[in-house]
Amino acid sequence: MTFVIGAACVDVMDRACVDECPVDCIYVGERMAYINPDECIDCSACEPVCPVEAIATVEELAPEDAPFVTENARFFSEPLPGRAEPLGSPGGAADLGPIGVDTPFVQSYLAP
Amino acid sequence: MSGSDASLAATEQTERLERVVIRFAGDSGDGMQLTGDRFTSAAAAFGNDLATLPSFPAEIRAPQGSIAGVSSFQVHFADFDILTAGDRPDVLVAMNPAALKANLADLPPGGTVIVNTDEFTPRNLTRAGCAADPLEDGTLTSFQVHPVAMTTLTRGALADTGLSKKDAERAKNMFALGLLSWMYHRPTAGTERFLRQKFARKPEIAEANILAFRAGWNYGETTESFAVTFEVAPATALTPGTYRQITGNSALAYGIVAAGARSGLPVLLGSYPITPASDILHELSRHKNFGMTTVQAEDEIAAIGVALGASYGGALGVTTTSGPGLALKSETIGLAVMTELPLLVIDVQRGGPSTGLPTKTEQADLLQAMFGRNGESPVPVLAPATPADCFDTMLDAARIALTYRTPVLLLSDGHIANGSEPWLVPDASQLPDLTVEFATEPNAPDGSGGFWGYLRDPRTLARPWAVPGTPGLEHRIGGLEKADGTGDISYDADNHDRMVRLRQAKIDGITVPEAVPDDPSGRAEVLVVGWGSSYGPIGAAARRVRRAGHGVAHLHLRHLNPLPANLGEVLSRYERVVVPELNLGQLALLLRAKYLVDVLSYTKVAGLPFGAEELQGVFTDAIEGVRA
Amino acid sequence: MTTIDLGLPGIGGQTLVPRSETKLSPKDFKSDQEVRWCPGCGDYAVLAAVQGFMPRLGLRRENTVFISGIGCSSRFPYYMNTYGMHSIHGRAPAIATGLAVARPDLSVWVVTGDGDALSIGGNHLIHTLRRNVNLKILLFNNRIYGLTKGQYSPTSEPGKVTKSTPMGSVDAPFDPVSLALGAGATFVARVLDSDRAGLTDVLTAAAEHRGTSLVEIYQNCPIFNDGAFEVLRQPGERERRLIPLRHGQALRFGAEGEFGVVRTASGGLDTAKVAEVGEEALVVHDATLEDPSYAFALSRLSSQDLAHTVTGVFRSVSHPAYDDQVRAQTEQARSTTPADLQSLLAGKDTWTVVG
Repeated sequence: MTFVIGAACVDVMDRACVDECPVDCIYVGERMAYINPDECIDCSACEPVCPVEAIATVEELAPEDAPFVTENARFFSEPLPGRAEPLGSPGGAADLGPIGVDTPFVQSYLAP
Repeated sequence: MSGSDASLAATEQTERLERVVIRFAGDSGDGMQLTGDRFTSAAAAFGNDLATLPSFPAEIRAPQGSIAGVSSFQVHFADFDILTAGDRPDVLVAMNPAALKANLADLPPGGTVIVNTDEFTPRNLTRAGCAADPLEDGTLTSFQVHPVAMTTLTRGALADTGLSKKDAERAKNMFALGLLSWMYHRPTAGTERFLRQKFARKPEIAEANILAFRAGWNYGETTESFAVTFEVAPATALTPGTYRQITGNSALAYGIVAAGARSGLPVLLGSYPITPASDILHELSRHKNFGMTTVQAEDEIAAIGVALGASYGGALGVTTTSGPGLALKSETIGLAVMTELPLLVIDVQRGGPSTGLPTKTEQADLLQAMFGRNGESPVPVLAPATPADCFDTMLDAARIALTYRTPVLLLSDGHIANGSEPWLVPDASQLPDLTVEFATEPNAPDGSGGFWGYLRDPRTLARPWAVPGTPGLEHRIGGLEKADGTGDISYDADNHDRMVRLRQAKIDGITVPEAVPDDPSGRAEVLVVGWGSSYGPIGAAARRVRRAGHGVAHLHLRHLNPLPANLGEVLSRYERVVVPELNLGQLALLLRAKYLVDVLSYTKVAGLPFGAEELQGVFTDAIEGVRA
Repeated sequence: MTTIDLGLPGIGGQTLVPRSETKLSPKDFKSDQEVRWCPGCGDYAVLAAVQGFMPRLGLRRENTVFISGIGCSSRFPYYMNTYGMHSIHGRAPAIATGLAVARPDLSVWVVTGDGDALSIGGNHLIHTLRRNVNLKILLFNNRIYGLTKGQYSPTSEPGKVTKSTPMGSVDAPFDPVSLALGAGATFVARVLDSDRAGLTDVLTAAAEHRGTSLVEIYQNCPIFNDGAFEVLRQPGERERRLIPLRHGQALRFGAEGEFGVVRTASGGLDTAKVAEVGEEALVVHDATLEDPSYAFALSRLSSQDLAHTVTGVFRSVSHPAYDDQVRAQTEQARSTTPADLQSLLAGKDTWTVVG
């Protein structure tokens, strides 16, 4: 997992990155989008198109965004609120459409 | 008959000769190469020193009876050590008018001509472009002519075999061989044994050939046409030991087998058939039991590619070709220079450019071997001097490739590839040890426990040979420039400058024996520098010059890159340096450029070796020029 | 000419390669080199899939070798923490052949592109396929020359406007699958770069095949040919265009499986509406058919305009591998003839000179 979407996306969710991703691994929640770490191919296509510079590699992520590394992964590895099963690796976001929920951390996230 | 036999035997004289040159010439379907080869084997078995020069057309079967279709085989045998196949034949065996016409000019006045009169038909005379029959128009007055109806006599000898007229007539080359064998007191058992082996599956053909061979012998003995026979005693000056006859291509193939055995590495030859190199592929493909793998690739580029791939895998990769093929291999040689992997590239030179003269000899690929790649791409270049020397040169090339992890170019040529000479069979256990060590441990000097693929041995500047399958040394190589040491891709300008110089320094630092000219007088003022197959003609010419009372030194270079370290000093010792080459002066250009020596370049590109007489004149002129 | 039956066993593609004693992860296959493809390049997807798939093969990393030619995709070996060689334009199959012949204990992979494999290296590709060398060839087809900045390639569609064809390309393109089948390939498959699951399935089958496996990967070049295969990814479009191959199953496609593949009167294949032809008329896929004409007909169902694109394993048949046969001859020679160098050098006709 290299690329992560951070706090800047919350409540902005421009979705330019979703169109850009060649493997369709960026999934849309309610307040922000999430990159599936197992499906991401590290190609960096998403990073420059984000209008709020929310996307970065783990190595380059702003320190305050550190929790979002876990949240991007958790969105897929743990059952989301209202769901019995985790999303896992569906192999593409388009078929699922917007997921419509966020991880509990993001649901209650307050911008500093 | 017995009475006349007795009288003939009584009148027959035997003349002792030191040396004889015989040229067998006929149509390319007449079996002249086989005839010459058998005569050579008999001479070898008898203990003569010898040298041969086969010459055959590029076409497999040019129109029958035409000049273009003439194939010949010249053999020089002597009771002393000889250096060439001879400038001019003493005896010409001409199986048809075209063979006579194409070769007569080489025969000195008084020479012997043995012709197969059966083939001098109006149709064959026309095909050969003869306005009149040379047997009758006075063309041959200055020669000793022996007209023999070989086809008729062969057919007669084989009348009881039941063979068709056509099959019977095909044995006429063995008739000629039998006649010449009688004339020169050659042993016959070897040829009969050879024929039985060659035609083991067709015993009736074997017997027919033997009958024809004996008929030729008996013809010589029973007719009055041949009053004199000749003896050439076994050579006495040769180093004692066990000898065999060998061609350059066979010696190269054996050198490759020996390199595999002495290095302990499997050998993989990638090759695409090309004249005159294909025989190396044929020979090696028969020695799979020695761990020789041969891949007949789809083209020249693939051929060197499979060889390089095998080298990468820890085998000794070899590729064989001739001039046009070498051009195609250039890019992969460059990759081998960049990846610093051992690789043997053998170029059996032929007349060029382009397709040129596929069956004729030339030494015009030297500059291609030296410089024929993009970028600064130094490659060691070696050239064998004689057929037998091909073996030692091949082992030397393998030593350099394995020690310095570099592609090595070996320049043979059509003359020594097909020519043969006696070879003092070496003791296999005394051949050079070519053992190599693969890298097995991480070597990073930064203590990271990693592997640096381009960390050099300070002694040889060679990089480690880390073959796939070695744990912990996983690394990537390729054609992109490498960072000094780590071997990672680097576009850094200073690094590139350093790497280019390092690659050059590695080749420049290869250990090469010092140049020691042959100058029996010790007072020569003229030095002749040669390379490759011109060794024989230069050496023979030098002997003639010395016999005439002059001093001349001969230096023959096996190592053309790097040149011997003392070469500049050696050249400066002489008043004049002469460089004879079968090109337009390629070594001369290198010597002039490197040593600022005003060498006299003597060149010829006729598809044939130099003649000793020709070079004698060149050397004598040079000597007289110095004195004037 | 006589032919000799070498009687080789049919074994898996990686049978002779030593297996790893430790369990490896995708991370173990990532080299320390920074990946330098353009953002969004399909090559990243293939790299991720291969790095994800390699641990599943269970082979020793040091016995795995990637060999490439020249082109964007040929950077691939640098990013794999295995042995590798980035060689010369078009020549990777030849170099890999030498390595595979010399070293049966290696898993040898060739990474190439449409220009590398089909244009400058076309000769090596077809000869490798006909010989059936035990190599796995990944052919990245983006229908463009990327590294040289955007000229048409041997798979570009006719009329394509590029830097070198301002009035449109007049070249007729290759279909790599058809070409490979014509060359006698024993394993041929096609897959999309973005189809991670499909890639992994096909790579697994390719690895298990003994002989040459050719996998054509439709790969997007976001800079010079962006969206070339977009219709094959779009929901709503892809279902009626993609014809997935599953061995033993009827060839059906469409969002509701409403289309299928049937035989034509002339012996070829065509698409049809299932409702019109009936389920029993559908062709059941069999990749193991010896006769390549079926797989070839499948390859011709695909069209350059992507109206239909067949994906999956077209052909997988067992033929002796070239390198196995070469080694078998060597072993046979070794077992019957001693390697006595001295007697080889002496030959049969010697004579002695006494001093």
